[in-house]
Amino acid sequence: MKFKMTIVVCVFVLLGGFPFASNCLAGEAYHLGVDLAITGTGALYCKDGVDAIKLAVEEINAKGGFLGEHPIKLFIRDSHTKPDVAVREAKDLILREKVRAILGTYSSACAVAIKPVAQEYKVLHIPAISNSENITKVNFSPYTYQVVPNSYMQAKAVVLGVAELAKKKGWTEYVTIASDYEWGRSTQNNTVALLKQLAPELKLKKEFWPRLGETQFTSYITAIMAQKPDFVIGSVASKDNIAWMKQAKAYGFFDKIPYPGSLISVSELIVQSKGLTRGLIGLCRAPFFAHLDVPMMADFVKNFRAKYDRYPSDWAVMEYDAVYVLKQGVEKAGSIDTEKVKDALKGATVDTTRGQLSFREIDNQLSCSSYIGVVADDPAYPFPIYHDLVEVKGPDSWRPEAEIVEARAK
Amino acid sequence: MDASLIFAQFMSGLSRGMMLFLIASGLSLIFGVMNILNFAHATFWLVGAYLCYSFWYLLQDHSFGMWLSIPLAALSLAAIGWIIEMVLIRRVYKRELPEQLLLTYALVLVLGDLIKIVWGVEDKLIERPPLVASPVFIFGMPFDSYFIFVILVGFVVAIGLWWFLKKTRYGHIVRAAVFSREMVSALGIPIPRIYTGIFVLGIFIAGLAGAVQAPVGSITLGMDMAVVIQAFCVVVIGGFGSLLGTFVAAIIVGEVYAFSILFWPQGALVLIFIVTAFILIIRPWGLFGTPDRT
Repeated sequence: MKFKMTIVVCVFVLLGGFPFASNCLAGEAYHLGVDLAITGTGALYCKDGVDAIKLAVEEINAKGGFLGEHPIKLFIRDSHTKPDVAVREAKDLILREKVRAILGTYSSACAVAIKPVAQEYKVLHIPAISNSENITKVNFSPYTYQVVPNSYMQAKAVVLGVAELAKKKGWTEYVTIASDYEWGRSTQNNTVALLKQLAPELKLKKEFWPRLGETQFTSYITAIMAQKPDFVIGSVASKDNIAWMKQAKAYGFFDKIPYPGSLISVSELIVQSKGLTRGLIGLCRAPFFAHLDVPMMADFVKNFRAKYDRYPSDWAVMEYDAVYVLKQGVEKAGSIDTEKVKDALKGATVDTTRGQLSFREIDNQLSCSSYIGVVADDPAYPFPIYHDLVEVKGPDSWRPEAEIVEARAK
Repeated sequence: MDASLIFAQFMSGLSRGMMLFLIASGLSLIFGVMNILNFAHATFWLVGAYLCYSFWYLLQDHSFGMWLSIPLAALSLAAIGWIIEMVLIRRVYKRELPEQLLLTYALVLVLGDLIKIVWGVEDKLIERPPLVASPVFIFGMPFDSYFIFVILVGFVVAIGLWWFLKKTRYGHIVRAAVFSREMVSALGIPIPRIYTGIFVLGIFIAGLAGAVQAPVGSITLGMDMAVVIQAFCVVVIGGFGSLLGTFVAAIIVGEVYAFSILFWPQGALVLIFIVTAFILIIRPWGLFGTPDRT
């Protein structure tokens, strides 16, 4: 009898216990959390992000889910663009919905706040819209992966372009305007520091910090004009950016003062298609039209348009990539076990809509590009796109590893 | 620093002040007469902006589309306000302040969700007509022409409210009701009807403010929460229930903000709260309020 029982227990352990031991069962759903700003300042960008995630999940689930046997179950939460709400929702996603990964977030402040929570509960975290470099530079979490060109990379891209323009046009003085929160501060600080290095002759006259959620920029516009700068560098995003650009245009601001390298994503190109000043030099993170030669991008744009009857923004592209990065991590690990997926993604090369890219081991930052171009009408699209697009590759723009080591040692 | 720049910054502050006055005046009016602290006032303001978008969307092919959308939005919101007053607000007139706050905060959540259902979560944008799309030049400095319209609306509403309260019979009754509801009631004047009228007027102004705000930037969920604190600051500085106080305080807040951006951009918002705290300490009833309304 004892022998029979032993055999039964051994068979149970071999057949049933193994999957439990590896913390996942064949056919078990993969719970995927989304913590994005459905409402609040970031809603403009996040709607596209959520739609792209849904599309990616549908595509993957049509083939049985991750590894063909783990259908993805989505849990979408609204961070309201507030760090405390984002953390509350992240904890709820982890503890109640048992998610294995959290995609998000719009606000970098939210991403920075979620990061330790994800690390504590050993959950993967891909903040595919927010891009403060502090998300991966300091207080490093091995569970956080970044698929967006971070604020340093974007600043470097802008600075390379601006330094060139400044030389050409004889610019000597500039002012900055940046939203007063994590991303705005991080981007602006990086831009100023890099300009000091690459174009030390340029003098920063004044910094302006409108609060996040500002609706009226008139006082900033007149104050900036009073400074009579040679050019202005801006780090204002989402609906704040729309209000800022709309009001600045009504002042004739862009006709008087060059405004190179501000964030003008595909969202702004679409939403402000009529009002946006042509000829502006803008910066974006993942414009679909830059990579239509990549089959994955071409398919994504086709499917996104078929499903939602509109073109995808940068935010849609990056959230879509985040889901497929996760898929490739699972495939490389051969399991949905979070620890294995996390290890599989370390330094991994992945296929994305923006081509084949790799994660840098020191900070889990994807080697994605930043894009600078001139806003111009294009007969192929019902909105302006970028012409003379310059792609600044990730490895050409990311912070040297030695500086990251130094920052972490502080 | 030349005079034209100072004037441009003054105009900028004035336009911000008038925008704040439009939001805060309805809040102050409702509190002053009805003693209801309507926490949902800014959310009504946001609904006004969305209504303006809807009317503009229907009328956008006409040159007058945006101009007509503004009063239509205000009137529609006033109608919604009338229903809400009849169904909900009048039930808490005699309740304690926390219960009133709870109800009006519930309205914030309900209206927020209704906005999501009706208009979705994506931002809405109103294209301005050519008349207010380009700058005007005042003493050589450019100024957004739409904000001239904002300033005008602010002054018209201020004068209109003053005229209504001081010069009309209905206004006299309203002011009498502020001091003694019982006496006004004893004269055979139906107090509930007065309250309904005032609430609807307050919401009409909120709708007008929201509609005027709509073409300034994009319309999005959460805008109400960003503005409600500043609106309360204006009411606190001016004095609860004082229309003149609200007007003066709105201009003070607008100008303090505008000039601190010019001279001390990092401290612009902080300065408003410092002024509010200072007023609360030295004169808790505000600049033009009365001690019984602290």
